[in-house]
Amino acid sequence: MEGLIRREICEGVTFNSIVDDRFKIGRLSVTLLVPLSRSTAAANVLLSCVLTRSCKAYPDMTSLNRRLNELYGAALYAVVRRIGEFQAVTIAASGLEDCYALNGESVSSELAELLCGILFEPKLTDGHFDDEDVEQERRQLLEDIDAEYNEKRVYAVNRCIEKMCRDELFSIGRYGTREDVVSLTHEQLMAAWKNLLEKAKIEIYMQGRGEPDKVFERFRSFFGNTPRKISGSTKIVTEVKEVQHFVETDEITQSKLVMGYRCAYPATKREVIAATLMSAILGGTPTSKLFTNVREKQSLCYYCASRFDSEKALLMIDSGVETGNIQKAEEAIIEQVELLQKGRITEEEMVAAQLAVKSAYISALDSLLSVQAFYLQSILREEPLSPEEAAEMVGTITKEEIVRIAASLQLDTVYSLVGNE
Amino acid sequence: MRMTALQDKSFDTLYYYCQHESGLRIYVYPFKGFRSTYAVIGTKFGSVNASFIHNGQKVTVPDGTAHYLEHKLFESEEGDAFTQYARTGAAANAYTSFDTTCYLFSCTERFDESLGILFDLIQSPYFTPETVAKEQGIIGQEIKMYDDSPDWRVTMNLLQAMYQNHPINKDIAGTVETIAEITPEILYECYNSYYNLHNMVLCVAGKADPEEVLAIADQKLKPNEPVQTESLFPEEPYEVGQTYIEQALPVSMPMMALGFKEQAGKEYASDKDLVCTSILLEAFAGSASPLYRELLDSKLINSTFGTEYMEGLGYRAVIFEGETTDPEKLAEVLKEAVRRLHKDGISEEAFDNARRCLYGRMARSRDIPSSVATNMINGAFLGRDPFAASVMLQTVTAADVNERLKQQLDPDNCTLSVIKEIEGLIET
Repeated sequence: MEGLIRREICEGVTFNSIVDDRFKIGRLSVTLLVPLSRSTAAANVLLSCVLTRSCKAYPDMTSLNRRLNELYGAALYAVVRRIGEFQAVTIAASGLEDCYALNGESVSSELAELLCGILFEPKLTDGHFDDEDVEQERRQLLEDIDAEYNEKRVYAVNRCIEKMCRDELFSIGRYGTREDVVSLTHEQLMAAWKNLLEKAKIEIYMQGRGEPDKVFERFRSFFGNTPRKISGSTKIVTEVKEVQHFVETDEITQSKLVMGYRCAYPATKREVIAATLMSAILGGTPTSKLFTNVREKQSLCYYCASRFDSEKALLMIDSGVETGNIQKAEEAIIEQVELLQKGRITEEEMVAAQLAVKSAYISALDSLLSVQAFYLQSILREEPLSPEEAAEMVGTITKEEIVRIAASLQLDTVYSLVGNE
Repeated sequence: MRMTALQDKSFDTLYYYCQHESGLRIYVYPFKGFRSTYAVIGTKFGSVNASFIHNGQKVTVPDGTAHYLEHKLFESEEGDAFTQYARTGAAANAYTSFDTTCYLFSCTERFDESLGILFDLIQSPYFTPETVAKEQGIIGQEIKMYDDSPDWRVTMNLLQAMYQNHPINKDIAGTVETIAEITPEILYECYNSYYNLHNMVLCVAGKADPEEVLAIADQKLKPNEPVQTESLFPEEPYEVGQTYIEQALPVSMPMMALGFKEQAGKEYASDKDLVCTSILLEAFAGSASPLYRELLDSKLINSTFGTEYMEGLGYRAVIFEGETTDPEKLAEVLKEAVRRLHKDGISEEAFDNARRCLYGRMARSRDIPSSVATNMINGAFLGRDPFAASVMLQTVTAADVNERLKQQLDPDNCTLSVIKEIEGLIET
C-alpha cells in the first residue's frame, strides 16, 4: 500500500487517492461536509437516500440494482455521519477490481461513471426529484428513524445525548427530526442538492488499483471552478453547573444506564490520542477499569463501556444493569472515573490500553472502509491524521498527558431507561 | 514443509492445511501485505448438542450448557484469558452457535504469544462450584439483554414454533432456570466429550506464516487420544409445529420472520444445494427482483428486509424477515409469490444476474480475514473444501436451481413469527 496523496481540485474540494493492490474490491467515495443545522439536516439525509435510489441513466430502482448486480454485486450507498456539529454525507461505491472480472469488463470505470451519474445527473421531472422516489425513501427513512428505538442500548445513548445537549446543535442527531422529514418539500430537496454540490467541503477518496488520474480529471471537470469555504464550528461546553438526572421507563428486562461527561477539547493530535487512551483505560477493553471493577468484581452490570467523541469532546459511558443496581452502578462508575482523574493508573492498565489502541489503528489499515472512516474523523482539522501516524504516537503518550485530559472530565447528565423487575 | 498447499481456485490464492500430530486440523490463509491476523479455534459443539453418547454412556445436559462452558473456559487456575490477552494487545472473543463453539482473537503483533494463550485456554479447563456459580449472574444478564432484542426474539420464536422436537427450538444461552442446574461435573463431561483436539479446527487468516503457526502448535499442544462422541437428535416431523407465533415487545413497528421448513435428514446440505439456494433467494427476493420492488411499492417492507438459509443436522429452513406494518399481509404476499415461483421457475436472465452478484459477494468476503477464517472453519467442520462454493457457482445452471426449488419453499409448511408493538408506551 502506498500513502495518501491529496490533490486540491479547488479550494474546499480535495481528491485523495491511495493506490493499494491488496484487495479484490476497490472503493470510491465522495463526502460532502456542511454545518449541522436544524433547517437542513433532514433534507440532506433524505436527499442522500433519493440520490442513491436511481439516476438519469438508470431511472428506476430495479434497473439500477440490476446494473449493480451485473457489475458483480457492486455496492452504491449513502452514509450520513455527525462529526462534531457538522453533517457528513458520504456517497460511496465499491466493486470488484478489474483483474477479477470474469469477462474482462472495467468494473472500476463503470462504477466511477455510475457514482458521478448519481451525484450530478439525478433523475429529475419538471425540475424536481421524482415524486415516487421521494415518497418511497421518505417512508423508509421515517421507519429507520423510528427503529432507533428498537435497539435499546443505542437508543439509551442517543436519548442521553439528546437530553444533555438539548441547547446545542449536536442534539439534532444525524437524521434530523421526524417532523422535518415528514414536511420536507421538493424545493427543500433541490436546495439541499445544490447546496451540497456548491457549498459543502468535499473530500473524494479513491482507494484500490484503479487509475486516480482519470477519476481526478472527471471530478475536476465538475468542481474545478466552484471554490467554497464552510463556516461554523462545534460548540464545546466545559462548564457544568449541576449534574442532571433523567429517568424514563420501558417494558424491558435489562435496564440501561448512560452517563455523559464533558471534556476539554483535544486540540492537538497528541491530545486526541491521549483522550482515546484515557477512554480505553476507563472502559475500552475487557481489562479496563469499568469492565474489571463494575462488571467482574462487583457484578453490577452485563456491559459497561466508554466511548470518546474527539470532535464534540464528550465521553459517554453506557451500561446494561439490573434495575435494582442502577444506583450502585452509577456510584461505582463515578468512583472509577475519579480514580482515573487522580492518576491511579497501573502500569498494566497503561500497557493494555496502549496495545489495544495501537492494534486498532494498525488493523484499520487492512480495510479500505476503515481507512476512509479514519481519515473522515479528522476532516474538521487542519491536517488529516493517518492510522500509521496515530499508531506511532500511541507509545509516546505519557501518563501525565492522559491524566491532564481526564482531569477535565465533568459529569453532566445521567440517563436511565428503567425496565420492570 | 509439513503443511500442504491448497488452492482457493476462483481467486488464485494459496492456503495451507495439515492435521497436527495432536489431532488438531490447522488451516492458514495468508493475506499479502496485511498487518493484522485473525485466528479462530472451534469445536462442533453448540446448543443443539445437549444429548450425546460418550464412552458408551448416554448423557443429557441442561439447555445453555455449551454457551456456559464457553464463558467458563476463559478462566483457568492462573486467572482469566482476557488478562493475558491484555498483555499482548490482542482483541479476544468467543461465540456459541447452534452447532459450534469458537474462540478467537485478532492482533497486529505478538501473534505467537496470543496463539499460545488461545491453545492454553482450550486445554486447561478449570471449573469449581464457586467459579461456576459466579457466572450465573452475568449469563443471566446476557439472557435478559437478548430477551429485549426484537431481532433475536423474532427468530428464536420462529424456530420454537417451527420445530416440534429438534433442540434448535431452544435458546442458545438457555434460560435462567436451566443454567441454574449446571455443575462443574457437567461442564467437565462436555469438555471431555467435545473439546478433544481431534474434533477441533484452528483457522488463521491475514498476516500469517504457516510454519510459525505449526511451530507454536508443536510447542503448546498436548497429544490427545481420539474420543468417540455421538450427538443424538430426536426424530423431527416434516410439518411445522405451529403456523403462527407472536410476542409483544417495545418496538417502533412490528417485525416478522416467515420460515419455510424443509425435509432435513442426518446429512448437511451439499455445496451444490447451498449455492443453488443462494442464487434462488437472490433471484427471487434480492434487491433487483420484481418481488422486492412489488413489496417496497406496496409499503410492506423497508431496508431491513432480507432472506436467510438456516441449515444443520436435522434442520433446514428458508427464512424471510424484516420490519413491516402488516406482518400477516406480507406473509400472504410472500406465500403467493412462492406459489408463482414454483409454477414459473427462475429465468435464465435472473439466474445470471444473481450469479454475478454472488461472485462479487464472495470476492468481498475474501478481503476480510475474519470472513475467510470463519468460512474455513465452517467448511472444515463438515470435512469439505471451504472454497468449493465459488467454483461451484460457475458450474451450476438455471435448471439446477429450478430443480433445487422443488425441495424448498413449501408454502403449505411454513410458520409466521411476529413481534408486535406494545401499545401506548413511547412517551417521546
